Amino acid sequence: MQEIKRDITGTGGAGAVVITQPGRLREKRRFKPQTILSLQAYAFLLPSFIGLLVFSLIPIVAVAVLSLFNWSLIGTPTFIGLKNYGVMLSSSAFWHSMLLTLYYVLLNIPMQTVFALLLALLLNQKIPGRGIFRTIFVVPWMATAAAMGIVWQWIFDPQYGTLNTFLSVFHIVGPAWLSSTAWALPSIAAVNIWQYTGYNMLFFLAGLQGIPLDFYEAASLDGANAARQFFTITLPLLTPTMFFVLVTDIIGSAQVFDTVYVMTQGGPGNATTVLNFSIFQQAFVFFHAGYASALSMALFVILLIITMIQVFFFSNRTVYDLS
Amino acid sequence: MTSVSTELASRKAVATTKQAASPLRRVPFYVIVYIILILGVVISLFPYYIAFLTALKQPSQIFSGSAWTLPNPVTFQNFIDVVEKYNFLAFIGHTLIYAVILTIGQLIFSTMAAYAFARMEFPFRDQIFWLYLSTLMVPAVVTLIPLFLILKTFDLVNTWPGLVLPYVLGTPFGIFLMRQFFLTIPKDLESAARIDGAGTMQIMFRVILPLSRPIMATLAIITFVQAWNSFLWPLIVTDTDDMRVLTVGIAAFQSNYGTQWNLMMAATFIALGPLLILFFLFQQQIVRSIHLSGFK
Repeated sequence: MQEIKRDITGTGGAGAVVITQPGRLREKRRFKPQTILSLQAYAFLLPSFIGLLVFSLIPIVAVAVLSLFNWSLIGTPTFIGLKNYGVMLSSSAFWHSMLLTLYYVLLNIPMQTVFALLLALLLNQKIPGRGIFRTIFVVPWMATAAAMGIVWQWIFDPQYGTLNTFLSVFHIVGPAWLSSTAWALPSIAAVNIWQYTGYNMLFFLAGLQGIPLDFYEAASLDGANAARQFFTITLPLLTPTMFFVLVTDIIGSAQVFDTVYVMTQGGPGNATTVLNFSIFQQAFVFFHAGYASALSMALFVILLIITMIQVFFFSNRTVYDLS
Repeated sequence: MTSVSTELASRKAVATTKQAASPLRRVPFYVIVYIILILGVVISLFPYYIAFLTALKQPSQIFSGSAWTLPNPVTFQNFIDVVEKYNFLAFIGHTLIYAVILTIGQLIFSTMAAYAFARMEFPFRDQIFWLYLSTLMVPAVVTLIPLFLILKTFDLVNTWPGLVLPYVLGTPFGIFLMRQFFLTIPKDLESAARIDGAGTMQIMFRVILPLSRPIMATLAIITFVQAWNSFLWPLIVTDTDDMRVLTVGIAAFQSNYGTQWNLMMAATFIALGPLLILFFLFQQQIVRSIHLSGFK
């Protein structure tokens, strides 16, 4: 009888698999480690799952169902099947909002991520005053969006605003930022970059903290310079953080609403009517809650696809452990 | 990891003479670094500077000049009014309770779930994780309607449990964040502990949590600030002054009759103060270096 002990249960040897006859696996009946571990895992998940189910999943299913109805927020909804989706797919306003949203994400995320990483690298060094700098860079994220939106409106004001006054020193005539179809969305992107760079810096700082200093010491004793150390040690070990930052930032950025609502109300015209703002308009201004639900489902599908692409991209590249 | 340490020890013995890096060579580096940092500071802070100037102005001066003219005369009456006439100390209290409850809940329940996803094997693990993640992708604007109706059914509108329950049991965002971090903790540490006979709870408290201080501090700060600044949810769920939070109070300065900018800006700074203090205290936790060298 061949006895083959293999640690397939991940318990480090606490359970054992015994092959008693060819082709038959029987687990020794001392414990059932895998079942115990699974139950433990489910217990760990239980509180958050209850929260998710009641306060997240059920409302989402409700929205999905609502997308098949016509509802003006008062009275009873009327069933119209997939009509909302038909209207949506043939509506140029919808595709315009979709493209605007993607454009916004492209303006916003790359710059934000690069700046955040740069600041995290700088402030991970032992330079004097780094605690104060770290606090200051995160401050833009800490004020209420409404109040800061108003201040940025003042800054962007074509005649009296700080930005154009500053540019006039260099004899540059600044455009009418928030009222110009070309500049409105980039202006909102700029405000968002201002607001969230420090916030993303926090994640990169935490990620940098998790990289053992030994690696850097060994590399520099080997003669690797700073740039090489960055590309062979820092960047690979930051991939879990980078994955998290990109996934959550893209999801959050595609759902931008507050700054648009406060600063441009979707205008001028529909130059800043991104998808989430359009959803809000449809539900609470035009009272087409069913159609707004269909738009929400569309945004969900887009984000799902984008996230899956990111997961696929990162799945072979994510390094969790250099040893 | 241990192979790196022993390598390191032997190399250090050889290389001690190499270490005389000239301090003067570092000066240009420091100059560039500080220029970038100062630029960042100016960009980060000047909108607050404008907001602060506005908070110090009398109402009559708000519209007579541009945003960045200096207040003349400087007045602190706005701050006093906000606290005394508009009940903002109570709002601070409510917001503090809300933020603390959410932060504690997040730290406990998201950590548990994240550890399960990162290090435990169980059926449907990845599918369930995707389920959590996908709930982030549905915009909250419309899901708030059914959520509100659920609370209404259970008579939880305008109550503390109603306000807190949707977010206190952990959020997919927090779980995602912690899971990514837990994945970077070397498996050797846990395997060694299990071989020594440690159960899951002991591993959590003796191995995982001590290593997780930076990420837990990060999660705590993020949850606290997000709760402190959350607007739409408290707006929908709370009706009365005895539950009102800061963001809703600040927004109340805008009405159909015009906005009281000076009071709004003063209130914004009062809301900002506690966050700044808390953050400065916590950011040291985030960046305390972990030395993972020398596993024994």
